[in-house]
Amino acid sequence: MIRWKVDRGLEARMLLTMFLLAVIYLAFLAVLISQGVNNMIIIIFMGGFMLFQYYYSDKMILSNMGARIVSEREAPELHQIVSRLCAIADLPMPRIAIVNSSMPNAFATGRNQKNAVVAVTTGIMQKLDHSELEAVLAHELTHIKNRDMMVMTIATFLSSVAQLMVRYLPFMGGSGGRNRDSGGSFIVIFVVSLLVWILSFILIQALSRYREFAADRGAAIITGQPSNLMSALMKISGFQVPTEDLRKVEGPVKALFIVPALSRSSIMNLFSTHPSLEARIEALERIEQGLVS
Amino acid sequence: MGFLDSIMGKTRLPEAKTDRLFAISTAAVTMEANLGLVPDGQAGLCIKPMESSYYESAKKEIEDLLSLSFQETGTLHTIQKDEYGYIWVVLTDPDFEDLVTNIQMICQILIEQGFGTQLLAAVYRFKGEAAVYWIYSFKLGSYYPFAPKSGKQRDTAMEFRLRSTMQRELPIEKDMAKWYPMWGMPL
Repeated sequence: MIRWKVDRGLEARMLLTMFLLAVIYLAFLAVLISQGVNNMIIIIFMGGFMLFQYYYSDKMILSNMGARIVSEREAPELHQIVSRLCAIADLPMPRIAIVNSSMPNAFATGRNQKNAVVAVTTGIMQKLDHSELEAVLAHELTHIKNRDMMVMTIATFLSSVAQLMVRYLPFMGGSGGRNRDSGGSFIVIFVVSLLVWILSFILIQALSRYREFAADRGAAIITGQPSNLMSALMKISGFQVPTEDLRKVEGPVKALFIVPALSRSSIMNLFSTHPSLEARIEALERIEQGLVS
Repeated sequence: MGFLDSIMGKTRLPEAKTDRLFAISTAAVTMEANLGLVPDGQAGLCIKPMESSYYESAKKEIEDLLSLSFQETGTLHTIQKDEYGYIWVVLTDPDFEDLVTNIQMICQILIEQGFGTQLLAAVYRFKGEAAVYWIYSFKLGSYYPFAPKSGKQRDTAMEFRLRSTMQRELPIEKDMAKWYPMWGMPL
């Protein structure tokens, strides 16, 4: 049997990020409580809203994306791939949806494993071959298995509260000034909320990227073939290995039209929910190398 | 090509980079152990066409040298033109080390004769479920994998596997936009 190495580094970074988020949130709550119970209304309101959103996430996202649930008869190949992957990953069979869009994309949603939905666009089905599609679906199923929807909802909850405070506190502070003291606490809450919002935003993005790495890893483990996901990721991002023959392109002008397809930028990475293609491929290559050595 | 050369409009083709060509000789072991791919007993050298009279004399020269030096190793060879007009020296030998050594030797001869800039690629064929190739580009000085499927399609996933498993042993071209395929090779 193949032994899959556990990625300790990834686990450690994920734990650290979640720990830092918890610290920030606790501090935020402490400040809110010390500044008066009034603010609790916002938290309760936001909590209700997020709970609603979480509970109905599948329906909301599906209708936002224009996804249509398809039966086994309508998409037999998709159902077959997913049911096989679910058997391997020990997951209940999710519903399957198709988005009518030429953009190659796929996503998973749903509040728990029983209510999960996996959706693919028509574009991705055209672009990828069978084994690449399988790798992408395995990536989405790993999101479901890792309960990423729940993790990210919890992680973003207080961040959304802070964001709400920053946006609407100036209006509320102006109109509801019952006593002179509220001016001081208003500024404190505003500044703290702003800080919490910014810091938690960066941490949440980092957490999201780690969850993506984990899902890539899961896809590699479920399918047993990291190379299929690498190839799928490259195709989705619009890059393809050239198909023009070497002997045809061999000429003095070739340097003009060859643009570097991959580029690395670290500042932008801080603000993105997905890791760069290059980083994902590198991580998958390490898994592949771990497989054979 | 230097900056001065370019503004003066002097065209000088880059010299062939052969220093890392030899790396394939040890890679065959890993290819078999990790991917189940074995050398297919064939290797080829792709040379850019030269003016016909030149070509004829060069061809004869190569032929003479080859038949002379291949008596020892028992390597078979053919020289042919492909659909693009490129010249191919195709070697057949069940012993992979002999193939590598002989390809290396032909390159040496061609460079000594002043044909170094005409060297395009060296290709090694491996067989598994389907044939895969390692292409060495003399311009890049590095290898890249090529796994053709039917209908001028590439098995990209296979090429990725080849890259990740062989990365430690072979100098593989990093920029995948330069992994140009070679369709319909005579090997």
